[in-house]
Amino acid sequence: MSATSGVARRDEDEVCPVCKSSRYLNPNMRFLINPECYHKMCESCVDRIFSSGPSSCPVAGCRKTLRKNKFRQQTFEDIGVEREVDIRRRVMQVLNRREEEFDSKRAYDDFLEQREEIIANLVSGIDVVKTEAKLKRYATDNVQSIRTNQALEVEESQSFQARMTLEQEEARLRRQAAREEYENERREMQAGRNDFLLRLAAGSPADAAAIAREGHKVLLKKSSARRSEEDRIRQKQAALRGTDVKRTASLLNTADTAGTTDTGLVKGLRKIKAPEPEKPYDPFDGMVPEKHDYYTLQDYYPSAYLDKIRKDTRMQAGGYDLREYYSRSLMEAFAGLGVSIAEEVAQRDATSMLGRSKPASTESAAMAAVGNTVASENAT
Amino acid sequence: MIEDDIYRTSSQFRLWSYTETSLQSLRANTNAAAIERVRTALRRAREAQQSTASSAVGTPITSQPGSESEGRGNEEKEIDCLTPEEELVFVRYYCEQLLELGETYKPPLPTLVRATAIQYLRRFYLSNSPMTYNPKQIMACALFVATKTENYYMSLRQFADGIPGNTTTEDVLAPEFLLMQGLRFTFDIRHPFRGLEGGAMELTAIAQGNGQPAPHMVHQTPEDLRQGLMSIAPPPVPSSSITDRIGRAHGTTREMLKSAAQMTDVYFLYTPSQIWLSAFLLADRPLTEFYLDTKLGGPLTSTTASTEDPNNNLQNPLYDLRTKVLAILNDCAALLQSYMPLSSDPAQMKNLKRIAKKLYHCQNPEKVNLAAIQKRGSQLPPSGAASSAAADSGPVTSESESDRLAKKRKLDREQKTRNADPFGPELVPDRTKGH
Repeated sequence: MSATSGVARRDEDEVCPVCKSSRYLNPNMRFLINPECYHKMCESCVDRIFSSGPSSCPVAGCRKTLRKNKFRQQTFEDIGVEREVDIRRRVMQVLNRREEEFDSKRAYDDFLEQREEIIANLVSGIDVVKTEAKLKRYATDNVQSIRTNQALEVEESQSFQARMTLEQEEARLRRQAAREEYENERREMQAGRNDFLLRLAAGSPADAAAIAREGHKVLLKKSSARRSEEDRIRQKQAALRGTDVKRTASLLNTADTAGTTDTGLVKGLRKIKAPEPEKPYDPFDGMVPEKHDYYTLQDYYPSAYLDKIRKDTRMQAGGYDLREYYSRSLMEAFAGLGVSIAEEVAQRDATSMLGRSKPASTESAAMAAVGNTVASENAT
Repeated sequence: MIEDDIYRTSSQFRLWSYTETSLQSLRANTNAAAIERVRTALRRAREAQQSTASSAVGTPITSQPGSESEGRGNEEKEIDCLTPEEELVFVRYYCEQLLELGETYKPPLPTLVRATAIQYLRRFYLSNSPMTYNPKQIMACALFVATKTENYYMSLRQFADGIPGNTTTEDVLAPEFLLMQGLRFTFDIRHPFRGLEGGAMELTAIAQGNGQPAPHMVHQTPEDLRQGLMSIAPPPVPSSSITDRIGRAHGTTREMLKSAAQMTDVYFLYTPSQIWLSAFLLADRPLTEFYLDTKLGGPLTSTTASTEDPNNNLQNPLYDLRTKVLAILNDCAALLQSYMPLSSDPAQMKNLKRIAKKLYHCQNPEKVNLAAIQKRGSQLPPSGAASSAAADSGPVTSESESDRLAKKRKLDREQKTRNADPFGPELVPDRTKGH
């Protein structure tokens, strides 16, 4: 109370530095500032000087050009705080990376520290030109991500608002329900008692004890039924809240997919992995059909024996193709020419001996050994 | 080389390729196991005989205890079994018999069928001994199975009629399952015959100037190849033209593949491609060397070889493979050349007769009548489990059906006790090593 009264007292003898008129003469006087230079002046001065377009600041020694539309009311009493808050807001709007965009907590913390440093520099006027340039370059480089994050922020704040109002509404409903509940209970109790008294009055004295017991029981039953009803409602509400949380979580997850590129200013950003393009399907798994290493298959080989078959329509009619025979016989001519059984089988036996210690694995071990020798043969 | 990788997937490479030492030890093991079994079987037979004899005659044992024990001792000494080498010679004789048996049919059975049957017989006697199963009984069955696997249809009656002597269809079929078990149910035999045809075909094409260079020797033109073929050293036997020379070499090689390749161990030790090329090498060395050079590149010229420069491989990237292949081919050729038909050598025939006589005494008496055993076996409840177990175990040492079932039960029991952990053994054995 004392503080507000102090302000009020100071306000009384406040004087516009431009026109020197005081609040004493004009109690409705409002002071405005411009974030260019933060010099204070009264509303009438602003109207007078800047109505006809931009003009220089009337304060002596300040040569900043001001525009009328930038003038606004001061939020904080201290003009220094006002300025810092403005700067902070501006920087935060540009450097608006989110925690989930970083590889680690450490990287995010580094980013926050860097941001604070920039703000401090701008506030206290150290390397202002350089810092501004840096900020500007970052802003132009990352237009896309800045915009995405801004949109996300807006969305988040909106959803937060919505949730808050929803919760308030729910609390109000709960309170109302509780009140109604209480009213009902009271009314029923009253009715029950009335009924009970009436019956007592109407009945014989012998029934009195029985009637009393019965009335008590009815009351108990009703209250327990009510209680279970309440439980049900409470569970429903809890479930409702649960889905709410889930929805916001899914909303947060979508932020991850926002495309980002590493920039010079911000380090440690998480790389967005683009899914690898699917390779074309290879039905032979790397093996080239019709590939031979020892021979080149021809369409025709001279052979007195085969030439007869070639001309024989009885053979050709069924679809028999001599090229089948050519490819088969040449394949068999060279299949295994480079296989050194003495070496490979000895190697295989050695490995299968190791495998023999395990039960029921001799066959598979032998197979594996064959696979190994094949692999090593290919490697050499 | 992609063709080599294709061959490596075959069952012939995976299951039926051995090194010389492993082949020897396998035969020695089979022989030892068979001797053990023959001795116990003979003892059992004798004891059975004695018990019947003693019950029939009365009590002669008490009167002459000394002579009885002496006679037993003599009999124990008499069981003199075959050595692995003798077994091998004996099996080889029956392989030669198979070739002739194929000839008796009208028309004669194709070479491929006979060769397959011979290989079946050879594979079977890697894990079985002639002392247990006489090749005489197995031989016909092997040939009959070969007609089926080589897609040369013949009815069983027709087949049995073709065999000299009074062989019934039951005799042919009796050891069939046994044989298949011995073959580990792999019926695919990769023969060198078709490969030889392919090679001869390609050489003829080269001779006519139509040859295509091998994929790794692209710089050669058909004309280059033809010129190369024309300028090779003259053959051991002079021939009129180059096509004639190829045909002659082809014929000689084919004869060798039919005989020497079947009767020696080359199928176990080398690949079909190596077998036909080494046989070809024996038939016409300059021609084969030229042919190999078109595939694997020629020898290094003296200038580059002498510099010992590591980049002399640029001249021929397949040089290492070439030296390796040539060494293998020479080994294989030597083995092929060492073959002599048994019938051509009277000393060997005499040896064979001795072995046959010896075998008469050490033949396992329980496995003589296979047809009867099979009849008894078929009366037992069919056991799919037993056959599947036999399929995935290693080389099957043959026994009768009941023996095998007992053995399987025992194996199962052993396995159960070994795996005390109810969730089975460790999946990744390396992990336990790390601790």
